[in-house]
Amino acid sequence: MVDLTRRDFGGLMAAGAAALAATPAFAQGSNISFMSFSFAEDPNKPLVQKVLDDFKAQSGISVEAVGSAWGDVQKNLLLRQRSKTLPTTAQLSERWLPALATLPEIVDLDQAIGRAKLEAAMDPAVLAMGQVGGKTLAIPLITGSIGMIANKEVLDKAGVGVPKTLAEFRAALVAIRDKVPNSVPFAAVTKNPSAIPLDFMIMVWTHGGRIIDESGKVLINSDAGRAAMAFMAGLMKDRLIAPELDRPDSRRLFAQGASGFYIDAPQARTFARSFSGKGEAADAFVLPIPTPVLKAGDTPRSIQWGHLVCAFKGPGMEGPDSAGVKWLNYLLSDAVQGGFAPALSALPVTKSAQKLPVVQNDPFFKAWAQATGVPLTNEIGIWSNGPELSSILSEEVQAALLGQKTSDAAVASMQSRMEASMAKRG
Amino acid sequence: MTMTSVEGSAAPMRVSAHARKGGLKAHERRVGRLFLLPALAAFTLVILFPFLRALAVAFTRSDLQTPEPIFVGLANFRAILATPEIIGAFVTTAVYVGLATAGTVVLGLGWALILNQSFRGRAVLRAVTLIPWVLPSTVTAFVWGWIFNSRFGVLNAALVGVGAIPYPTAWLSTTGGAMTAVVITKIWFSIPLFMSFFLAGLQSLDREQIDAARVDGAGNFALLRDHILPHLRPVLLVVIVLGVIGNLQHFDTIFALTGGGPVRATSVLSIEVYRRAFDQWDLGMASALGLLWVATIMPAAYFYLRHLLKGA
Repeated sequence: MVDLTRRDFGGLMAAGAAALAATPAFAQGSNISFMSFSFAEDPNKPLVQKVLDDFKAQSGISVEAVGSAWGDVQKNLLLRQRSKTLPTTAQLSERWLPALATLPEIVDLDQAIGRAKLEAAMDPAVLAMGQVGGKTLAIPLITGSIGMIANKEVLDKAGVGVPKTLAEFRAALVAIRDKVPNSVPFAAVTKNPSAIPLDFMIMVWTHGGRIIDESGKVLINSDAGRAAMAFMAGLMKDRLIAPELDRPDSRRLFAQGASGFYIDAPQARTFARSFSGKGEAADAFVLPIPTPVLKAGDTPRSIQWGHLVCAFKGPGMEGPDSAGVKWLNYLLSDAVQGGFAPALSALPVTKSAQKLPVVQNDPFFKAWAQATGVPLTNEIGIWSNGPELSSILSEEVQAALLGQKTSDAAVASMQSRMEASMAKRG
Repeated sequence: MTMTSVEGSAAPMRVSAHARKGGLKAHERRVGRLFLLPALAAFTLVILFPFLRALAVAFTRSDLQTPEPIFVGLANFRAILATPEIIGAFVTTAVYVGLATAGTVVLGLGWALILNQSFRGRAVLRAVTLIPWVLPSTVTAFVWGWIFNSRFGVLNAALVGVGAIPYPTAWLSTTGGAMTAVVITKIWFSIPLFMSFFLAGLQSLDREQIDAARVDGAGNFALLRDHILPHLRPVLLVVIVLGVIGNLQHFDTIFALTGGGPVRATSVLSIEVYRRAFDQWDLGMASALGLLWVATIMPAAYFYLRHLLKGA
């Protein structure tokens, strides 16, 4: 055996620790960090990288991008909060903010950036996306709405026009099923608990119902709620929608001409360009349409949508002149808003960027705005127990779609489970 | 020797003021203990601390609305008992563990019996059999995910091709189909390990005993029942216990294949804990459920350890 004294052993340990500390993982790297789900999406990664590079060239501050899949961002933030390794800033979907607003580390941007400055830059409705309890806890990055998109080529193949009512919509789906082999006529999301609520919410609104009102009262167990569920279950029964579909699957099916309709944000155009392999030529078949209504004269429904960026207390967010605040201000500049947002097929959030020619002259934005009308606030996402409500809703929708429960039973169960969740929330 | 004793004296005498107390053996023991420190530190950091922390969190309300945990006693455990969906997860776990363990034991034993025979290419087949075992489990899950895929799956293509079904079926979207898929996947990649255990046991079986039984007119089934299974009994016990423990702990292929769905058809305890913690962010409830999950594994683990110690 090697004759090792305690002193030798201690020396070895110290040497090991020193070697570890010298590795890149322990070295001081970027000034600040930015957790981004767009950075984790292949079509959008170069767009985010360009923003980071331009910011570094302008300010000398390097921002370390931390890619995280859209569905994992909340989980990663929670874990990092527990281990006290939160990023300086993070990109969020607008519906996650109420849940994340409870984290004590989240920065009040009214203080950090200045409420007056934010109000001068954005319309109140846009700024409201980043506000909870009257405080601005995130800056809006891009905005728009979630509505219905049709594939013009698929409609032409099936010999149908743009449907205006649900009855016409159903007839169009049947035509696509029968005339376009191996297609999913309506690529509704039936798998991901985070995405199912959006499709179902639009259907409930279209049938004249609500899921939860502004006071927190659960209203889904109504004639409209049951009718919406029965409509969706009927689509599944007749193979007009398909099981096992997540939003990324819907995007690919749509881009590859295997689906006539799906529900998405205006980013649909960017995904179609990428997944079809046609680039900008794909714009010819991406057709934003008003969501079909129950009866002529009803208002087409869409959901308010946007991406936000929040900040967390810690190094880089020490004051108005900190690197983090400079980064947030840069994200609101015309350079980013007039470049990044349109490239993502989304509307800029600032008033000045919305007037830029690149936005004003883009026919897609005009078509999108005309089609989706005035979007409504997400009824699930505004609650701090939104993740649990989403799980409940998704399970019950799946149960009805897969025939495990009748539509009425699924809606009744959704009502009671959501009421219990809201009661627990207090 | 750095230390010695003077013959006839009552106490050992150190020959030098620099000599090590307790002698060389004691010194080696001390150094040995020092070498244990890294492992002990890793165990404390990676296993003991998280376990104790989970234990503490299980008795608190710790979710998004209460980032600072609040002590609630047994409230989380009462909530678990009052939630039919979670009770359902225990039933789903029992079904999954039962089917996956039984299937792997039966097929693993059968495959070991085949590979124990003498035939041309046996060595190659033994090596090929290990492939599912060396594949990363998520790769396995995706392979089977594609096989069962409703739109592009091989299974649907074959069945539609021979006219057995009129149009593709969404196997992973039915309760029975999803459970069958996750069980088949687990069996497929567990068979090589179980087969290895059984094959090792079969190698020590006395060939003359089998030949004598054959001479006495024993058929294949009689050989299996009266000679092979009694001989493999110790191996069988270990394999079943390891199978139960492994299947109780299993998470990755189920999560990758079905995510616990459709609805909750394949939501075993591991998936349920994950969903509570990372879908609903209810760490208190997830920790309480995790403790109950550990409790379900403990009897099998105890049985296995006792068997090991007895063997030792």
